[in-house]
Amino acid sequence: MRAAKKLFTDYAGMIGVWLGLVLLFSLLSENFFNTRTLGILANRIPPLTMIAIGMTYVLIIAGIDLSVGSVLGLCGALVGLALVDWQWPILPAALLAMAAGAAVGTINGSISAGLGIPSFIVTLGMLEIARGKAFHLTSSQTKYIGAKIEHLAKPIATLGVSPAFIIAVGTVIIGQILLTRTTFGRYILAIGANETAAHLAGVKTKRCKIMVFAILGLLTGLAAVFYTSRLGSSDPNAGVGLELSAIAAVVVGGTSLMGGQGSVVNSFFGVMIIATLDTGLAQIGVSEPLKRVTTGGVIIAAVVIDSWRKSRTERTT
Amino acid sequence: MKRHLTSIFVGLCAATSIFITGCGPKDSTDAVGPSPSTPPQPDKPEIALIMKSLANEFFKTMADGAEAHQTKNSDKYDLIVNGIKNETDLAAQVELVEQMIAQQVDAIVIAPADSKALVPVLKRAQEANVLVVNIDNKLDADILKEAGLSVPFVGPDNRAGAKQVGDALAAKLQKGDKVAIIEGVTTAFNGQQRRLGFEDAMKAAGMKIVSTQSGQWEMDKANNIASAMLSEHQDLKAILCANDSMALGAVAAVNSANKTGKVAVVGFDNISAVKPMLEDGRILATADQYAGQLAAFGIEAALGVLSGDSQPEDQTTAVDLVTKETLSAPAK
Repeated sequence: MRAAKKLFTDYAGMIGVWLGLVLLFSLLSENFFNTRTLGILANRIPPLTMIAIGMTYVLIIAGIDLSVGSVLGLCGALVGLALVDWQWPILPAALLAMAAGAAVGTINGSISAGLGIPSFIVTLGMLEIARGKAFHLTSSQTKYIGAKIEHLAKPIATLGVSPAFIIAVGTVIIGQILLTRTTFGRYILAIGANETAAHLAGVKTKRCKIMVFAILGLLTGLAAVFYTSRLGSSDPNAGVGLELSAIAAVVVGGTSLMGGQGSVVNSFFGVMIIATLDTGLAQIGVSEPLKRVTTGGVIIAAVVIDSWRKSRTERTT
Repeated sequence: MKRHLTSIFVGLCAATSIFITGCGPKDSTDAVGPSPSTPPQPDKPEIALIMKSLANEFFKTMADGAEAHQTKNSDKYDLIVNGIKNETDLAAQVELVEQMIAQQVDAIVIAPADSKALVPVLKRAQEANVLVVNIDNKLDADILKEAGLSVPFVGPDNRAGAKQVGDALAAKLQKGDKVAIIEGVTTAFNGQQRRLGFEDAMKAAGMKIVSTQSGQWEMDKANNIASAMLSEHQDLKAILCANDSMALGAVAAVNSANKTGKVAVVGFDNISAVKPMLEDGRILATADQYAGQLAAFGIEAALGVLSGDSQPEDQTTAVDLVTKETLSAPAK
């Protein structure tokens, strides 16, 4: 019972905001509240979900990764090259993208943790490098891939959701377990709360931090595969500005930019909120300026509601 | 360990510098020297081509076309090609113009990132006796007048091009059918012109435009918007996209809504990736404005004025409709 109550207080704020949005759009649009809309949401969230999971870890260790959008572009370019130019099957192409993402993440982590340089600046540099390499590899051209990859984003008839969605939700669950039920999870929470104390307690802080960036890179590689499969094309401009959506989703989910606390499941709800907002606004057909103003407003409101709810629960317990 | 990391860092710096020089300002003067048969020309004019984002396939094709043109005519002029990183980075483009003025080039051929904000710096260029030719995105006529500046525009009529695409689509629809438009960045003149061209065609044919939203020229944004449009308007018959990247995004949305064949998609630009879609009908039509030649047209106009052979005046370049039928027709 207590566990159920804890589960409720942990996720209530996020679910509440999300349901509020769904209700609002259902009132404003005739065709929002139906399974089709859920299908659209399920179809579009896998890439952002994968990145948000990894970004949660990075924010927990009080780091940041601005390069994820560009890395998604780079890994997507590799998927296109592998499938079209080199005629690889899908599995090795996906593994290549994940390996490339993990390699970039390892470089980010090694430089920032190894040399003590803020991850903000290292990943800002990597944002440029990865995007440049994506343009270079593709000669700035969009590649059409088609049926070879599209099935990943196609709903499985019996389940109603796509393989990409299933993998994304599965990864959220694994990601949450990794964070709350393993030594690694406890270490990174400790690093985020107080790195010196964690180090003195015998945690190999550098190695843990490099691993966190590598995990985010790996997940970004997989996100690139899902992104490419949804569009059926590899686009060197893919993921421009995605780092901000990912950071927004994670922060909306209650993870602190100061590190030391966070929840993968809540980041997933953050992704849902941002995706629902985007889809809903497009469905009503509001103008571009109003879309941006509303999106910004909801991000701030969600964080305010969450922090208010948290401070209330802290007082009552 | 530390040494190892240092070597990674050094390697990374080297990689960065290679990348920067690879895509940075390119001085083509040393590409091909004058051939022995042509007499040396002491005052060969120097032309600066200032582009928008060279990361965009369309602008890269334009720049490549200009460089090929210069290689062929290396005895006639020198070329400096510069682009900005981000299509909306106006300040960077203004700085490029200032640098070119400082270098005392003879002419600037520019695809302005904004049809208004670039006017003041181009006025400074003209005051410094640098000839300015406008390509791609037309400068705002009212602002030019206000600044007392006359700049010849050499480029396609995007509105007429979009109307051709819209007309081709209308021929396949019934009067009164519901259609939606995904436009580009709303502040870009060529994007506005294409939207107007689409609207002209749809109104003329009696179609009902149920939604117009911006996809910011991006495939993913257009995909999300198209998905929402298809869900909200179940009887939607067509989506008109202001560029081909967005059309690819719309095609993916039509596909995931299981409406392939029921909802028509058209685009603009004729990028290579849409060819298979034109062939199987998932994209009905697009427009080709001959990106490879656009910058070269501007350069030739500048050379004509510099040599005194022609007056600085507007020139409209061709925009042609591309459909399955024109693809199979023999090349002109």
